[in-house]
Amino acid sequence: MKRWHEPKPAPSGASEAGPGGMAERPPVPACPTRRPGRLQRHLLSGEFDQLRDLPIFESNFVQVTRLGEVANKVTMGVAASSPALELPDLLLLAGPAKENGRLQLFGLFPLQFVQLFVHDESRWQLKVKFRTGRAFYLQLRAPPETRDRKFGQWVRLLYRLRFHSAQGAVPFTQEYSALEDDKDEDPRRRV
Amino acid sequence: MTYAYLFKYIIIGDTGVGKSCLLLQFTDKRFQPVHDLTIGVEFGARMVNIDGKQIKLQIWDTAGQESFRSITRSYYRGAAGALLVYDITRRETFNHLTSWLEDARQHSSSNMVIMLIGNKSDLESRRDVKREEGEAFAREHGLIFMETSAKTACNVEEAFINTAKEIYRKIQQGLFDVHNEANGIKIGPQQCISTSVGPSASQRSSRDMGSDSGCC
Repeated sequence: MKRWHEPKPAPSGASEAGPGGMAERPPVPACPTRRPGRLQRHLLSGEFDQLRDLPIFESNFVQVTRLGEVANKVTMGVAASSPALELPDLLLLAGPAKENGRLQLFGLFPLQFVQLFVHDESRWQLKVKFRTGRAFYLQLRAPPETRDRKFGQWVRLLYRLRFHSAQGAVPFTQEYSALEDDKDEDPRRRV
Repeated sequence: MTYAYLFKYIIIGDTGVGKSCLLLQFTDKRFQPVHDLTIGVEFGARMVNIDGKQIKLQIWDTAGQESFRSITRSYYRGAAGALLVYDITRRETFNHLTSWLEDARQHSSSNMVIMLIGNKSDLESRRDVKREEGEAFAREHGLIFMETSAKTACNVEEAFINTAKEIYRKIQQGLFDVHNEANGIKIGPQQCISTSVGPSASQRSSRDMGSDSGCC
């Protein structure tokens, strides 16, 4: 089983499989001994057979409003449904269950219907926007000593997803627009 | 939380028939009149009690819109139960059942238990599909049938639980090999361990319910 913990930390050109690359280069973890993330461990626990072997790049976040107010804890990961894929094609969202705080998978979304943006680099914030218009903001949770590096990996991954996608015209860093009609929403829409 | 078995369910059917609302009603006992379109798959889970056994239902709520269908059908595999849902006020959602059923049968175990659900039974004045038509379709294709209302919760518990009962019955009859993961059934852990998956969005024990409820 392939383990894909993190995109390669060094920058790379868009034409080769760097961060987010799935096929051309084995997804060598930046730190080979790193323990699988919470989401990966959750899927490995055996209740999700079909998702058990997905190589996942994941991080813990807090959901924030557009203005930065903190709401829920969210674990977000991107994964490839097949090891043959050059790029990940799935987004997974999970978070603590209301009852006991244990991680619970909320949803699995094809990346072709999701756009990821850098919302505020200085606050390590990403924006997740679904094709339906639903959008929310996530701020990376990581120790200060690794936060910039980790966020940089997400940025490079977003870059690769954007420039390898058919909708290449979509800007990488989304500027705020007064015309924008999306609003803050809870990724855990059932909770 | 320990459980004897875990059953994987899928919920399928046309967009807007109330699949996500059925799940929300079952897991959280609430109704949300306005719901975003589902993209991909959303998950829910709940414990139920069948014949004194704790059973965890892991429910995969799939997108109904045609553009997502080629993706979501890949997740039918390994389901023990399916809720095939149509909207009793929209004839076209009933007309599309054959296509959904073909998909389900093609991409999942032949033993999968399928519950046909005519949802939105609270909208009797706008009914476009007679109950008898649903019953006839179910009879013809070997499905269980119920009309439900995710809004009033009528028959929602019964739909999920009766499907579990039928799966459990098949296990007891030896029709399901519980050691074959392709059948969508897992034997539960012997005891709760700290790294195990959190039980559910809404974890409740349900009493073993009768197969018929006259609320709809």
